[in-house]
Amino acid sequence: MIVFVSGGAKNGKSGFAQDLAVKLAGGGKRYYVATMIPVDEEDHQRIRRHVADRAGLGFETIECGGDILSCLNYDKNGSFLLDSVTALLQNVMFPAEKNYEMDLQAAEKCAHDVAAFAKSVANAVIVSDYIYSDARRYDESTECYRRCLADIDRLLAKVCDTVIEVSAGQLIFHKGGLPE
Amino acid sequence: MVLIIGGAYQGKLDYAKAAFSLTPEDIFTCTGLKIDFSKRCVNALEEFCYACVQQSIDPVGYFQSHREGWQDSILICTDLSSGVVPVDPVERRWRHSTGQLCQYLAGQANQVSRIFCGLEQRLK
Repeated sequence: MIVFVSGGAKNGKSGFAQDLAVKLAGGGKRYYVATMIPVDEEDHQRIRRHVADRAGLGFETIECGGDILSCLNYDKNGSFLLDSVTALLQNVMFPAEKNYEMDLQAAEKCAHDVAAFAKSVANAVIVSDYIYSDARRYDESTECYRRCLADIDRLLAKVCDTVIEVSAGQLIFHKGGLPE
Repeated sequence: MVLIIGGAYQGKLDYAKAAFSLTPEDIFTCTGLKIDFSKRCVNALEEFCYACVQQSIDPVGYFQSHREGWQDSILICTDLSSGVVPVDPVERRWRHSTGQLCQYLAGQANQVSRIFCGLEQRLK
């Protein structure tokens, strides 16, 4: 089963997604797709905290700062936790190695690849962030980023079996359901 | 009247087109104060609100005085309600007046739909 999870920040998306990915795996392989490219000590601390959170849940970590299709080299019958699309898109759309200059083609490829990934594995929980309801006139590159992320979200909502919005740790089902 | 709300880029207009068989000729997209109520669908009401704020016009008052224009309309407005309080006073008033208008229109509507990642959630 492929599940798309979104919602506002600090509502419990990651914790829920983690537990769900374990559940979907049954006794099979479980993979954590690590999307964050650490740049400073704060990032490293956060990663250590997340690693500690996952300890004991049996996840194998796949380092994936960009090419999500590289995950297909692992056991496709396993359960993949991709947290988050937001970070993945940021990495490819504003690549550090190109001095963070915006790459729209890479953003389009990212959308295509994430959808292809979702269709190619047996189980996945894919987490994104709902960043579309604030009253701001953003600069052009931020606005482009929001639009590209929304395009990916909508594509994923279409191809995933289940779409859930997490609010204060509670689940709002927009599509499909979950196994008992 | 049908009110469709949701965050930016969520597919509000695509939903309206599919659900109500709209053609491009049926759609008016706001870019300022002028609204063409002869069109079946009025899109981007948040832009109308932005123009209202700049010219100190109350959007709810405007809609109340043009009631007959939108009784059978499909109205679309972006939800601006869930960010940090804007530092810029214009953006702050924009958020306020857009929220007021959505509340008023939702009260008047036969149907209110929220679009989340292209999927409809019926609120009324």
